[in-house]
Amino acid sequence: MKKKIITSCILSFLLLMQTFIASSQQSEPIPWNQFKGFYRNGVASGNTLAEKIPENGPKMLWKKKTGSAFSEITIMGNQIYTMLSEKTDSVSGLEFAVAFDAKTGNEIWKTLIDSIFIDVDGWGDGPRSTPAIGQDFVYSFSGRGKLTATSKTDGKIAWQVDFVKEFGSTIPRWGFANSPLLIGDLVVMEAGGSENRAFIAFDAKTGKVVWAKGKGNSTYNSPSVANIDGETQIIFANGIYLYSFNAQGDTLWTLKTPIGNPTALPLVFDSNKVFISAIRNTGFIVAEFNKNGAKELINGTAMKNDYSTSVYYDGYIYGFNVAALTCISATTGEKKWTKRGFGKGSLILVDDKLLVLSDQGKIIQVKATPDAYTEQGSFQAIEGKSWTAPSFSDGKVYVRNLTEMACFDLN
Amino acid sequence: MKTRKSHIFIFIIALFFPASFFAQTADEIIANHLAAHGDLKKWKQIESMKITGKFTAFSEQKDFFCIKTKSGAYYSELFLGKNAVIEAFNGKTGWTIDPWQDILYARRLNSAEENVFQQKALFFTPFFDYKEKGAKVEYTGKQNIDGEDVFALKLTKANGKIETWYLNTSTYLEFKCESEWVDFATPVPAQTFFDDFRTVNGLVIPFFIERTFWQRDRILQIENIEFNIKLDEKLLVMPRKEQMNKLEFMQGDWNVDLEVFTRRGTWYKTGATNSDINYVSTNLLQENINYENYFAYSKRVDYTYNDADNKYRISVFDDLSSTFEIFEGNFTDSCFTADNCDISYTAGKAENKSCTQLSICNIEKGSFILEIKSSNDGGKNWNPREKYTYTRKIK
Repeated sequence: MKKKIITSCILSFLLLMQTFIASSQQSEPIPWNQFKGFYRNGVASGNTLAEKIPENGPKMLWKKKTGSAFSEITIMGNQIYTMLSEKTDSVSGLEFAVAFDAKTGNEIWKTLIDSIFIDVDGWGDGPRSTPAIGQDFVYSFSGRGKLTATSKTDGKIAWQVDFVKEFGSTIPRWGFANSPLLIGDLVVMEAGGSENRAFIAFDAKTGKVVWAKGKGNSTYNSPSVANIDGETQIIFANGIYLYSFNAQGDTLWTLKTPIGNPTALPLVFDSNKVFISAIRNTGFIVAEFNKNGAKELINGTAMKNDYSTSVYYDGYIYGFNVAALTCISATTGEKKWTKRGFGKGSLILVDDKLLVLSDQGKIIQVKATPDAYTEQGSFQAIEGKSWTAPSFSDGKVYVRNLTEMACFDLN
Repeated sequence: MKTRKSHIFIFIIALFFPASFFAQTADEIIANHLAAHGDLKKWKQIESMKITGKFTAFSEQKDFFCIKTKSGAYYSELFLGKNAVIEAFNGKTGWTIDPWQDILYARRLNSAEENVFQQKALFFTPFFDYKEKGAKVEYTGKQNIDGEDVFALKLTKANGKIETWYLNTSTYLEFKCESEWVDFATPVPAQTFFDDFRTVNGLVIPFFIERTFWQRDRILQIENIEFNIKLDEKLLVMPRKEQMNKLEFMQGDWNVDLEVFTRRGTWYKTGATNSDINYVSTNLLQENINYENYFAYSKRVDYTYNDADNKYRISVFDDLSSTFEIFEGNFTDSCFTADNCDISYTAGKAENKSCTQLSICNIEKGSFILEIKSSNDGGKNWNPREKYTYTRKIK
């Protein structure tokens, strides 16, 4: 029975990947259905962008107030999903998973998930994780550690797992922040649980644990995914290690790295390379991996990602080196250019362009080229501290921060 | 062969003259740099600057102001995220109230912070009168940083700290500075970037200053600059802890009458002496008193406030017996009372059945009474022992 489920998982994932790759070749947009997009690499595949943002800004489709959370917006069809919180007094409140109409921003459903996570340092209360949109359910993870599957259509809770109670996970200082990864019929999480339950795969329909592996605490990182020779690799960055598991939970390889506790998730590119970066210590490494192992190719200090994940395009990595937008060679690590003035912003790649969101809510379109920083227009999208990266689908960019969210048509 | 000879010649020349070559170049660069900042005569007339604007820390943009003076004093009120921070520096020493460090009251700056405040207090560039300030400059060559051609100048300051300044080769204005900064009072390397130069009253000043150190990113965006604003010197005086202000009635020079409690249940005057009580720091009120009670005693009494357990802590040093005693207590009603019943000098809770109490009551403008009591049952019952009546000396 177990073998059957696993085989089914692999087949459905491959089928899904093939479907989307085929779609990509036909320039059909791929849904931004989970944290950092479908491939978890911050790339809005299958989308195009105009060469410039109009001087008077793009058309704003909607903008609305929202409750505090750092969750990104995920998109599937006519609905978008995110998380938010509402305070009932200064020390308590509630966290919700919410669905909105993509065209209007009107709320479709709002489901209570957990009590609120209060940030002792005042960075912002509420959820940190980004919901993932599966076949039937939306998977959200609260700041206090409850993974919940809710119906995409009406928000009804199908199942819920409390990581603290079930796995002995410890709430990190700034709350649980990792975002669910969807692989076929699995929901994969860094759990940070005791008794070799650092990394757990759940049955997407039932919430039952399919496999649990590894030692490690709850961090602020999220798993990435790669596919080599038809085999899925789930890559976790935890502590100073990279871990790779296949969909069955078998350990494929482990790599000790000089990068300690990265927050930006491992960025897979060229199908068999992974870039990880942290704001302290060494800065970054690029490692090459296959089915059986991984080795460090280069390391450097020209890129030190904090909470914002870099993107890869055509041989180069673009990201925030502390608070400077920077382009480095993915082959040599050499810095190509730097542009300051965006604070600790975030970015995604659409077509051959970067959409950069400054930490003050301004969107800047930048040509993804190593030649020079080339700005292609900008506009103030939202106001105030903005630490949540944008999402993109079907020509529209979705942004949010702790107080508001908005959608702009960039076509 | 001829080329080789000329190379050798140039090499020999370079061996003998490089210092003067570079010194000359450094001086030229600095002269151009100072000129680029506007009229030097006007700079020399500036006694102080008040800067207002926005300061961004942790991506939160908040109001900011600072006042800096020619003498190197600096005072600022700003926000770091949710916390309001105050910084003050008199040119040599200073203090800060920074709740991020879990210290809610003023604390003195350490030496690494003093170096940072010297940087903060600069009007615009460290190369202004740098020789008079005891600094040395070495030109280390041209570089390209982030696409910007720059002159690199190594600045060794009088305090021994080294900074590297990168000046734009076209404008001679500063582009970047590498210096030592602090994060949680610990030295860390910092990079500071300067931009948005504007002319104010003929003076050229960067209105955008971004500094990154460790994982921090701080941005100062200047909105307004006022010149020759008087800095209220009182702002630079390190404030006492609020709780220590409650002990202010004790500060001064006192006549002290000494009495002991007799077996007959009456007070008996044994003598008189003097006492001086003064704040020696913002969290330390110190009393020195000499008196005779059979033997001659010389005691020093330190009053402090301990935030960890929200109590006053008093230490009494007796030179005759060479002993310290520690008391803890607080104000209750109109008296200040402290005892040593719960004080333990070993691990674990004290089981001190025999203990002493200091009680200060009858507090008036020119007098107060300190009573010492004993207990043999852990503080349940107190027996009077000694009484010290303080009367303020009239100057």
